[in-house]
Amino acid sequence: MTETTLAAPRGAAAPGGPGAQDAPSGRPGRPARRRRLDTRNRPLWMLLPGGILMVVIILVPLVVAVVMSTLDLDQYTLQSWLQAPFIALGNYVEAVTSSPLLRSIGISVSFAAIASVITLPVGVAAALATQNRFRGRALVRSLFLIPYVLPAFVVGTLWRTMLQPGGVVDGMLGGLGVHPGLWLNGPLSYWTLIIVQIWTSWPFFYLLVVAGLQSVDPEVHEACAIDGATWWIKLRYVILPYLRGPILLALIIAFLHNINAFTLPFVLFGIPAPQDVDVLPVLTYTTSFQSFRFGLSAAMAICSLVLIAIPLFVYLRAVKLDSGEEEQR
Amino acid sequence: MTATASRTAGRRPAARTSGTRPISSDVHRLLPRPLLVVVIVVLLVIVLGPVLYMLFASVNSDVSVAGGAFFPAELHLDNYLKVWTTVDLGTGLANSVLISGSVAIVCAFVALATAYVLVRHEFRGRLTFLRALLGLQSIPGTLMLLPVFVLFSSTASLLGIQIIGTRWAVFLTYLTFALPFSTWVMVTYLRGLPKALEEAARIDGASSWRILTRIIMPLSWPGIVVSGIFAFLLGWNDVLFASVLTNPDSRTAAVALQVFGATQEGGAVPLYGQMMAASLICALPVVVLYLVFQRYLVGGLTSGGVK
Repeated sequence: MTETTLAAPRGAAAPGGPGAQDAPSGRPGRPARRRRLDTRNRPLWMLLPGGILMVVIILVPLVVAVVMSTLDLDQYTLQSWLQAPFIALGNYVEAVTSSPLLRSIGISVSFAAIASVITLPVGVAAALATQNRFRGRALVRSLFLIPYVLPAFVVGTLWRTMLQPGGVVDGMLGGLGVHPGLWLNGPLSYWTLIIVQIWTSWPFFYLLVVAGLQSVDPEVHEACAIDGATWWIKLRYVILPYLRGPILLALIIAFLHNINAFTLPFVLFGIPAPQDVDVLPVLTYTTSFQSFRFGLSAAMAICSLVLIAIPLFVYLRAVKLDSGEEEQR
Repeated sequence: MTATASRTAGRRPAARTSGTRPISSDVHRLLPRPLLVVVIVVLLVIVLGPVLYMLFASVNSDVSVAGGAFFPAELHLDNYLKVWTTVDLGTGLANSVLISGSVAIVCAFVALATAYVLVRHEFRGRLTFLRALLGLQSIPGTLMLLPVFVLFSSTASLLGIQIIGTRWAVFLTYLTFALPFSTWVMVTYLRGLPKALEEAARIDGASSWRILTRIIMPLSWPGIVVSGIFAFLLGWNDVLFASVLTNPDSRTAAVALQVFGATQEGGAVPLYGQMMAASLICALPVVVLYLVFQRYLVGGLTSGGVK
């Protein structure tokens, strides 16, 4: 699983699709109107390979994680983990009261929110700027994607090198007379993480806005021109309302991406992470594989699941699962 | 309505308005020209600055990089030779190609079969399955790492099969974690395919397997390639699972690069030049894949967006 995967399905913001008046569901057993989906000759066995893998390697470990979060697990009890002492909510209590969990949650949430909000204007500006044809537009669009395309571990290594004390960033800022101090340690590291995350993730926002711009009716441009609207008026009152759905969706997805980000902070700052960038995924990782407090770490991981549950729920509600074939709730 | 913009994974969202009648570009302009130029130039500088720096630093001397030079004072092309012996980058790359490549192929076909049933057949729990495909993607990897590790190590004690440390461990993990997104990409792709051919084949008495392999598959190559590439990228880019589930023999390139960084701690001047060279080598296959398949990937990305 990755910190970056997430879907932004089409038409998430689309109200009532073409199939809105179709029969609501065609469950077998109910003689609903014949829908276009085939209910005979169902090759359900074709679901087995994917289904079994997802059950064994995603769902079963999820259950295991919940069980482990109630056990007192360390490197000695891990071998026969089912026999480890059961301590109920002990790990959760410890995580909240005497571990850096709450501070990490604060860092993760604020980092994810700030980074998503700042990518918004950047992504929108880039999408608007490349919307009209000009010479070299295809090249510009390809280049825009590069920061997003680079593997997170490469982005981390690159910026780690650039931000070394006395490195190229310090050299350039020093030329301007600015000496901000250490980037990779201390209070500034929090902003380093935000800056690098924005650098690598804005093209995704840009792509979603570009897709959203497709829905703008060509006629509105002419209408605006006839009414003599200035570009700002047109943008503010005509174009942006079209983009509200895609932008909200992109914000949720960006937030989920950011809050699950592990590789970038891991590579950028190393472990154990400096206190100011000890985001929740890194904390969970170090608690497991540096302190060997496996039960505590599982409890932290469950907390991170609870943390993303709300945006994830909003996201799943916003998504239309079935385009046109059948209306969803 | 957004849904009609591009239903299939392969279509390019960048395609402009229908273009049936010539409209002067001034009418369609969204930003005034000077602002447009400023936005593009600023973004290009921000994007290309670090990328060019990586390129220059990879042929620079370590001392010069540490001193904050942007341009190399003298060319050190030997960074690209030394990097293969300093860390075991060759083994790492071979493992990455082998693991991510086989994940891509297997995942694409499993996703195709799953998506075919999901798109064309009704069954109890279908919508739950579709929703799970989306929901499973945002489960944090750090939550899964420990239980997967425990699960794999218990196969050693229960079944006597040692998985951890082998390529199978990361192969199975990447395959499974790539499946939800790849399946979603295939679902959006298959929805765009006409049903007439399948129905004709069905009337002629073809079995579901035959329809899948003889009719759906040949029509779905763009979708298969896109979902395969996304699965490949997941494996190639992962550090989290590979850092725990592999040993030096089965280590992927991403982990080899981390060891590189770690061994440089505390020494004299870190081997910056080689580190940048290794980074470039690791990034190159991914960037090339993206640029070659850009049209299809961008469509797939916004239809169900990941890296």
